[in-house]
This record gives sequence, structure tokens and C-alpha cells, in this order.
Amino acid sequence: MLASPIDTADTAEMQTARAWTPEQQIANMLELCGVQMESALQDSDVAVDALIKAFTSVAETARVMNSMAEQLPAEARQHIEQALNKQLDEITRQIAAAVVSFQFYDKLTQRLGHVRYSLSSLAQFVCDRAQSSERDQWRRLLNALRRLYRTEEERKIFEMITEGISVDLTTTTSDAQQPPKTGEIELF
Amino acid sequence: MHPPAELSMSGVILAVDDSASMRQMVRHTLEGAGYKVVQAADGVEALERAKEGSVDLVLTDVNMPRMDGISLVRELRALASYKFVPMLVLTTESGQDTKLRGKQAGATGWLVKPFNPEQLLATIARVL
Repeated sequence: MLASPIDTADTAEMQTARAWTPEQQIANMLELCGVQMESALQDSDVAVDALIKAFTSVAETARVMNSMAEQLPAEARQHIEQALNKQLDEITRQIAAAVVSFQFYDKLTQRLGHVRYSLSSLAQFVCDRAQSSERDQWRRLLNALRRLYRTEEERKIFEMITEGISVDLTTTTSDAQQPPKTGEIELF
Repeated sequence: MHPPAELSMSGVILAVDDSASMRQMVRHTLEGAGYKVVQAADGVEALERAKEGSVDLVLTDVNMPRMDGISLVRELRALASYKFVPMLVLTTESGQDTKLRGKQAGATGWLVKPFNPEQLLATIARVL
């Protein structure tokens, strides 16, 4: 038997009333933050993909132009060689800088994924009143989240926050005026 | 635009990363230097690609769905044909514990993202 619209509305209202707890509201808010982040990331993925395609196409064009320049007769090349090499070196430098910068988007995606997982874990945690009133359980949650943060920057911020130190992003993040810092290399 | 002569190399590199944009950056860098690049989006796919044909070097991320990079290195090292193939890990992870796990699995080296194209090529040339 189908329920009348009035019956349905009553049921939904009753369900809402039953589900209303401060913990559930916190969980809903955390879920909202997580979904907003995910949605923004999905939009950005499309834009970044397009940007990378454009970049690789430009880089490939530059490579072809370089090959063409190399095939010029020595006499013709002689006149432009110095200026041409200077321009090509500059393009090479810019392309290398772009390759490094593009990788920060990957890092951003990864870090936001960790934040989203943390929010979701916290939402589940606060809904369990017995668990969230235990200090020891909070410690376990923090330890679980600590394992999640694996990049140097994430770990640094996590440790500072959990130790009650206020985070000054001007000292924990890279200087915007400097070229992006690349990672370390270790051969075993 | 062409890489310096000492960095213009040949060989097949298996590049493994679940991020499409990272795979693009790696491929762009390696192909520009003369390498042939075979790509895979996770450890399981990489293992299949590795068994399909000869690979001269493996460059893998760590955190990936289905099979992570450290398990991939371990699985490949168990194959006779990959016992001595250089395997570099390229990851955002810089923790000593994970690095040690990579070393124990048989990785040749550890590179923390973001990579600098010139340094990546120099490292590859050194271990190949």
C-alpha cells in the first residue's frame, strides 16, 4: 500500500526529530565540509587535465622547433645561434619549473584526501557518545590519524597542533617568492 | 630543448602512479630524454606490464589502489628477470619507516616528490 504524501511528511519529520542530536549535527557539518572539498577537487581535476594537455602540447611544439633550428644550414644558423640558444635555454628552464609546479596539484589532492578522511573519521567518532567521552579513545583516534599524514609538511603541522603549538604558516610553508622546493633523492 | 648529450638515453621505463597528471609529467620528462615509457596506474597493472615485456627500470609511486609501490617492488624482485632491474620509488612520503620498508623490499632508491626533471634524469642515468 502506498503512503499518502501527508503520511510521508510526518514520517520524515519524525525521523528528523529522532535523529537530532548535537553529535549528529556535528557529523553532518563535517560531512558537508568533506563533500564540498571533494566536489571542488573533481572540478579542478578537469581543469588541471586540460592545462596539462595544453602544457605538454606547447612543450612538444618547442621541441619540434628546436629540431627544425638544428637542421638549418650552418650559415643561416650562425647568425641566430646565440639568440636562439638563449631562448631555448629559457624555454627549457620554464618547462622544468612547470613540471615541478604541476606536481604540487598532485600533492594537494593527496593532502586534501587525508583531510577528508580525517573529517569522516571524526564524524563517526563523535556520533558514538560512549567512545567520544573516553580520553583514551581520543588518543587512539589521533594516533590513527597521525599515520595518515605522511608528507613532511603534514607531519609538521599535525605535531604542532597536537602539541598545542599555534601554527604559523609563514614558517611552515614555502616562501612564495622562492622557486618551489623539490624533494630529496637517496640511493640505497 | 633537447637534453644534454649525457642525459639523452635509451631504454624502457615502467612508470607507475595512480595520478594521471603525475604520469603525464613523468612521461613528458622521460620521453623528452629519449626513453620509451610504459605506464601503469597501480601495482597490479604494473606487474602485468612488467611480465608482458622487458623493462630496463621501474619508477613507482607508493600509495596506490589495489597494490602499493613497495609490494610491487617486492613482487618484481621475486621474478628472476627483475632481480637486478633498478627500481626507484617516487613518492610524497619522506618518513624513515616507509623508506626502510622500500629498501628492504628491494628498491634501488627513494625520490621525494616533487621531482626536478634534470635531477630525475641524472638519477636514472646513474642507476641504469
